[in-house]
Amino acid sequence: MRLSYKWLSEYVDLSGITPSELADRMTTAGLEVEGIEPMAKGTHLVIGEVLSSEDVPGTHLHITQTKVGPNDDDVLQIVCGAPNCRAGLKVIVALDGAELPDGTIHVRPLRGIDSNGMLCALYELGVDKKYLTEYQCSGIEELPADAPVGETDVLGYLGYDDTILDVSLTPNRADCSSMWNMAKEVGAILHREVKWPDYAGKAEIGEEGTFKVSSATEKCPVFYGKAVNHVKVGPSPKWMVNYLHAAGMNSINNVVDISNFVMLETGQPLHYYNLAKLPAREITVRDDIEMTMTALDGVEFEIRKGDLVITTGGEPTGIAGIMGGEESMIDETTDSIFIEAASFDAASVRRSSIRLNLITEAAQRFSKGLEPLAMAKAVDRSVQLLTEYADASGFEKTVIYGDPSFEPKTVKETLSHCNDLLGTEFTMDQVKEVLTWLDFNPEVNGDEITCTIPSYRTDIERPADIDEEVIRLIGFDSLKSTLPFMEATVGRLTPAQRVRRTICELMTGASLNEIITYTLVPQEYIDEAFCACGDAIALAMPMSDAKKYIRTSLINSVLECAQYNTAHQTGACRFFEISKVYGKGCEEERLAVLFDGNLQEDRLHGIEEPGDFYAMKGLILSLLKKLGFSGGRILIKENTSDTVHFHPYRSAEIWMDRKFLGVFGDIHPAYAKKFDLKKPVYAEIKLDQLFETKGTRMKFVPLDRYPAVSRDIAVVADTEVSAKQLMETISRAGSRLIRNIEIFDIYEGERIGEGKKSVALRITYQASDHTLKDEEITKVHNQILDALKNKLKAELRA
Amino acid sequence: MDRITEVQNEALAAIESAADLEALQQARIKYLGKKGSIQALMSEMKSLPKEEKPAFGQRVNVCKQTVTEALEKAAEKLEAKALEEQLVKDRLDITLPGVKKEAGTIHPLHMIQQEIEDLFIGMGYKIAEGPEVEEDYYNFELANIPKDHPAREMQDTFYIDPNTLLRTHTTAMQMRELEKAKGKTPIKLICPGKVYRRDDDDATHSHQFTQCEGLVVGEHITLADLKGTLEFMANRMFGEGRQVRFRPSYFPFTEPSVEVDVSCPFCNGKGCGVCKGSGWIEILGAGMVHPHVLEMNGFDSEKCTGFAFGIGLERVAMLKYGIDDIRNFYINDQRFLKTFDRFD
Repeated sequence: MRLSYKWLSEYVDLSGITPSELADRMTTAGLEVEGIEPMAKGTHLVIGEVLSSEDVPGTHLHITQTKVGPNDDDVLQIVCGAPNCRAGLKVIVALDGAELPDGTIHVRPLRGIDSNGMLCALYELGVDKKYLTEYQCSGIEELPADAPVGETDVLGYLGYDDTILDVSLTPNRADCSSMWNMAKEVGAILHREVKWPDYAGKAEIGEEGTFKVSSATEKCPVFYGKAVNHVKVGPSPKWMVNYLHAAGMNSINNVVDISNFVMLETGQPLHYYNLAKLPAREITVRDDIEMTMTALDGVEFEIRKGDLVITTGGEPTGIAGIMGGEESMIDETTDSIFIEAASFDAASVRRSSIRLNLITEAAQRFSKGLEPLAMAKAVDRSVQLLTEYADASGFEKTVIYGDPSFEPKTVKETLSHCNDLLGTEFTMDQVKEVLTWLDFNPEVNGDEITCTIPSYRTDIERPADIDEEVIRLIGFDSLKSTLPFMEATVGRLTPAQRVRRTICELMTGASLNEIITYTLVPQEYIDEAFCACGDAIALAMPMSDAKKYIRTSLINSVLECAQYNTAHQTGACRFFEISKVYGKGCEEERLAVLFDGNLQEDRLHGIEEPGDFYAMKGLILSLLKKLGFSGGRILIKENTSDTVHFHPYRSAEIWMDRKFLGVFGDIHPAYAKKFDLKKPVYAEIKLDQLFETKGTRMKFVPLDRYPAVSRDIAVVADTEVSAKQLMETISRAGSRLIRNIEIFDIYEGERIGEGKKSVALRITYQASDHTLKDEEITKVHNQILDALKNKLKAELRA
Repeated sequence: MDRITEVQNEALAAIESAADLEALQQARIKYLGKKGSIQALMSEMKSLPKEEKPAFGQRVNVCKQTVTEALEKAAEKLEAKALEEQLVKDRLDITLPGVKKEAGTIHPLHMIQQEIEDLFIGMGYKIAEGPEVEEDYYNFELANIPKDHPAREMQDTFYIDPNTLLRTHTTAMQMRELEKAKGKTPIKLICPGKVYRRDDDDATHSHQFTQCEGLVVGEHITLADLKGTLEFMANRMFGEGRQVRFRPSYFPFTEPSVEVDVSCPFCNGKGCGVCKGSGWIEILGAGMVHPHVLEMNGFDSEKCTGFAFGIGLERVAMLKYGIDDIRNFYINDQRFLKTFDRFD
């Protein structure tokens, strides 16, 4: 909110406290001041009178002789271009060296004519054009005829000698958007007395009238109305206009301005109706109307059930708390008014104003909730100001619907609990002083303090609220730093958290970079999901088509990231991401791994580690091994589940304990093309099973005491014979003596013949209880060769 | 000079003159080989009279030993020389680059997350987890933000249906943990995770971001404990000597609520561009758990108190590493990611 320093000082003595000091004190106490700016700026200013003004032929300029002081020779020649420049005008003169918002005035000839200053418009002093008329914006300011020539405190004369503090109010302190409540708050911060105007009871005048108010909905529990049978519409007093400007509002006429001014003072939005234009002397608030309504600015609005509507004589005239109707608007001809000060349900007003896109000042205030006594305050103050500044008379008695009675809350707190919560050692005197300045009327009884909460502090409900007031107003600087003293607890990672960290270590060790991509994806990423985690969840109101669904798999997000990096030539793509994916009623966590290009490469040293299928297979298996899953628990088999995203012959499914974990391998060239990628290799693995399953127990096997013997063989087999078949055949034939089988070379080519391949293997034999004899090995070795020949038609290579 | 002396002298001379191991080997064959000169002397012995044989044999043995020793000595010398020559030949250009070894990197947000996790695990906290697709009940209701509460305007929500949403803060996890605890204390946890709000993405806003909240509930937990804990965290994250300053604020789930500033690590509180001259950087929100939140979750708010804090990891990373655009975290440009491939 915009807080006028000058206006505030009408209620609190701010002497000795500059605006910036005030801002610091307020910020420290929780009312954050985000900016400080003067209403208007200008040095070396003086009020002058144009004695003569001659046109310069062929230009828009005038040569003036302007009097700027009491003596006859206090006259300056000033050239002015404003169309309204003329003899007899009282004007604002900026003298040589004057600093204005747009720069400094230097005396210099204008088109060869001596000019010793500048005649100013208000906007040239920094007054926002929105507060000025078109006429004021088109020329220099015309001061009243009685303006004192020679007066140098021009901003003071204009009433613009004010500073605006931009205060950011937290939602619990909406009460401070009332100037009076803000004054109370500032008084409590500064420990200074606060004086509100003497308004109370001013509305207790008036004859018995015929006007009736009522409400047909509980969303309007209380409605104050007061008919004023005579007012005189005219201009507002200058001080009021200035304060309205300071608060960011424009002046319209005295009656409308009073309604706004009282709202700013008390926080209560008011509506003044043109009494003569109301079709009946009756107002009913309803929330069961459906219709199209034309509001103040001529725009049509669709009213639905649930919107609070003001009706009079059965006809809707306005949207309650948001906007009044055009018919009963106050204008220059208005001579009688009806004052409305009501309580409208905050949530209803907020919903309607957002739906209708009518975020008016009144709607915002109702939305944040109002204090129970604001209505009475606002009616009292209205009567007082209308009488004084709009010749109001012919008041009728205030009519009230509902029960306006108010019982102040009491909140009890103990000093010991307060200190216990805060970790402080405040004394009762310190606490009592704070609460006294807040007008909480603390009554102390031993350790206990009973507070009676003022009506406007609707946020104070519990002891903890009292404690907050105490610490924020005494200041957080008094707070010590301690650590919780409590029962010991064990901090450790859960199994899932350990698995995630292990993945990160292993993947980064393998040169992969961790990425985090967006959860929200477009429709096509859902349509083309890999092994979708159920039916996709759509947002009720997405911000865009690109962020419409919660992703059901990671593949497209990761490929998109690779696409970006390829396009930006950031080097071979090497990524992994761990993320949850969601479907209707399900949640899964997944690991995605992608590479496109080499994992390691060094031409100087002849090193190249291609990021291919086998690199991925090795990486995934070493990860599973690291997590305790290897051997027979893991099964790699032909990919039959997804050949849309994956190359049908260069990808594989991975299973663990007979459960599907995921797929890895080359991305299908047709799919890779969609993302402009060359040869991406990808894996997407479900992690939940890894989190939930225990790895194989770690157990030491005694070291072999007897030597191992290795024999190399090369066999020629049909190309269809898989490595797995070869290994299994050897393994079975070789029985317990085989310790390891290693394939170290594969050759296909002319020397072998079409449809054949040569596989070189090293078989390592070892026994745990004796040194193997040559004959033993040869026997087994020959069994192996026979088995290869008989079962796989694999012959020893010549 | 007799035959033995003659052979010995000849052999010693040949050994002496051997320029390399090859020449030495030739000498060994010539004098000590099976068909060598010394072996030849031994065979001469057969033709000697019986009484001369022992003396002759002894002398030949002495000769053989002398020559063998000389050979060994010479071999040692030559081997040393050969090694010396080999070393020179093996000289490397040590200025050539070493073998490139690409290291991958953890995402900077997770780097910071792990740092915080480790810090709090060390203090006996556990790391809680919870769903990103969350119920309104945990995200708002239990956090003291009932329907139509003005605070719901502070964070615009991605709703899925009236009761389901993408969590807007990690507070939802706190609420689940509080509910799970069924009124039992102590509770000490942090809950990091992704959160979502309806913001248009620009340099300082992201519809998806990362928070980490902390929660401690027990007997006699104080606001001063919160300050001490946060000071501990600030020192770990921004270097020793950090100070923490509280300013009053408002969150529906804490009372009192505070904004927390950390003395600027870049200028040590003197004032610089990063802290906009104030010497302080606003880093997180915190407060004492609202008694109503404790009660809704089945705790006796008369008996136990607690503190909670929440920090935005993007903000920490941006401050710490001078990152100027929040979108960097989600674009995942490898040049950006590789900045973080080292110890910090």
